[in-house]
Amino acid sequence: MNFLESIRIGWRSIGSHKLRSTLTTLGVIIGVAAVITFMVLGSGFTASIIGDIEADQEPVMMVQTQTVPEDGFGIMTVDSPIYTESDIAELEELDGVEFVAPEGGLDVVQAGTDDEQVTGVIDVQATTADAFEFSTFVDGETFDGPDEAVVNEQASQAFEANLSAGDELTLTFEDGETETVTVAGVVESELGDQTPPTVYVPAEPYYTTTIGTPDGDEERAYPFLQVGAEDLDAVDPVQEDVTEYVEDESHAAELKQDGDEIEVQTVEDAIEQFSDIVDQLTLFIGAVAGIALVVGSIGIANIMIVSVTERTREIGIMKAVGARRRDVMQLFLVESVILGVIGALVGVALGLAAGYAGVTLLEWPMAYPLEWIAIAIVVGVSVGVVSGLYPAWRAARVDPIEALRHE
Amino acid sequence: MGYESDSAATAVVAEDVRRTYHLAEPVHAVDGVSLSLAEGSFTAVMGPSGSGKSTLMNLVGCLDTPDDGRVAIAGQSVGELSDDDRAHLRGTEIGFVFQTFDLMARLTAAENVTLPMVFHDPVDADRRERARALLERVGLGDRLEHKPTELSGGQRQRVAIARALANEPSLVLADEPTGNLDSETEAEIMDLFVELNDEGTTILLVTHEREVAEYADHVVHLLDGRIEDVEHLGERRDVAVGDRVTGALEEVTGDV
Repeated sequence: MNFLESIRIGWRSIGSHKLRSTLTTLGVIIGVAAVITFMVLGSGFTASIIGDIEADQEPVMMVQTQTVPEDGFGIMTVDSPIYTESDIAELEELDGVEFVAPEGGLDVVQAGTDDEQVTGVIDVQATTADAFEFSTFVDGETFDGPDEAVVNEQASQAFEANLSAGDELTLTFEDGETETVTVAGVVESELGDQTPPTVYVPAEPYYTTTIGTPDGDEERAYPFLQVGAEDLDAVDPVQEDVTEYVEDESHAAELKQDGDEIEVQTVEDAIEQFSDIVDQLTLFIGAVAGIALVVGSIGIANIMIVSVTERTREIGIMKAVGARRRDVMQLFLVESVILGVIGALVGVALGLAAGYAGVTLLEWPMAYPLEWIAIAIVVGVSVGVVSGLYPAWRAARVDPIEALRHE
Repeated sequence: MGYESDSAATAVVAEDVRRTYHLAEPVHAVDGVSLSLAEGSFTAVMGPSGSGKSTLMNLVGCLDTPDDGRVAIAGQSVGELSDDDRAHLRGTEIGFVFQTFDLMARLTAAENVTLPMVFHDPVDADRRERARALLERVGLGDRLEHKPTELSGGQRQRVAIARALANEPSLVLADEPTGNLDSETEAEIMDLFVELNDEGTTILLVTHEREVAEYADHVVHLLDGRIEDVEHLGERRDVAVGDRVTGALEEVTGDV
């Protein structure tokens, strides 16, 4: 039997049960749409961050401590202060290193201007002016002296009257003490919208966390270091040297907890790690959404079995007028494949629409996950074949004599 | 028994055919029937229910195979064929007309008529044309695109007859073709069968109504799975019949 002919006949019989066919494909539609939506959102999220970073790549790398949570997902950053002043001094001596800027959080509970107080949301980091070597300032410049601070755009916008250079900012520490600093500049956030509002103050004199070194001294120590290379070409060799030093010779190597890993990440590495995690997460959610597809194919199989029973007499007639087993099989398979493909196509369209609405709302870039669209359509066909196989086989085996006796 | 020589002129041969159903106890639905339908003949099979009419029709229609004996359609022995080969044989050599018309509800009249052609030859470009010709032949040239639900009972049966003729079969098998029709329409349909027969189509008609059977040239009376009697109503065509009791094929010849 001609393939086109069976598509025509299959389509006709689907069309004669519009409501039933619609409800049947709904399972596949929802499954495919959910998968596509999550893929669009995942790619959009990744692109929103990577796009910002890649736009102006800097010859910097982060030195930080990471751990794999015992029963968690992905990688966690540890913020125990293990990078000592001596480590910083040693690193600064390495070839190709332009600067080493430490970074460590301060326990600030409230930040305020004369008119307005912001509690809790603002993160205060102690660092050095070098940290802003490659940063872009939207207003003012880096701090220069103990009574100045740099805020990022998020922190600036945390205040109703956006902070700008020259504003006075009073920080209230956890122990109740207060310090007043002048905003020297507003810096653009490297990670775009995802960065928390942060105020940067000079490590000298605000940062006071110390640790006992393996040498027996008490030194200031930080949880993060930012290492700047002389230029982009120097990044790779510097990364190698820095890694070698921190992993083998530094105080940090001895101070870190068992199981913690010291990571020296360039911007590129960070992007990679980040998209790996997002990809894993997207895949996981996608797989959950894929369960809807399984439910969908059971729905198709179910309705096809009903349809075979309903059409027993019709099958008998087709066999009487010369339909062979494979003709009957083909007719029913084509019908379930049409249902699967329609489900997949509508699902893709719906998924893209929902994904588009989502990324528009979140102001992420739209992504078209082409390989997932291809996969969805292949899955639609497979769902049709798999769920139609058994019903079609039953139809093909209908005994024409029995069938013609069937009312 | 010389079937080879007959095959050119014989559409269907049944030779001491038996079919037993094994229910609670064995039921000999067809119990030694021999019958030979010459090409161009018009034969009716009559009998009360349970006489084996349907079973005989299934056997002659290649839907069933005999437990014993031999059925041959257009020279091909049915018992030796696989399911699919029998389906193919049905498609090419036999046209079915059923009491309940049994058209495909979702297909138009023309599509119903092309259906056997579709199964027979997937790459047949002018089947639409032939379907139109067949529907014109049964008087439905203006109903090509109508669905069965838009047609009267008589019109539906005409479509079914056109479908039966789709692949130019050796035999048209009609099972109570007028059972669901009023007497006026019945006469129209039976006249159509007579016309087709006059044009050379071999017809085997199963009925329990005497007046319908009388359109045929020969009437075979079945009782308890055997041929009880053969009536010759007209002398226009040939039918050869026999049964187990005589154990031989009784040849009846006439002018074709």
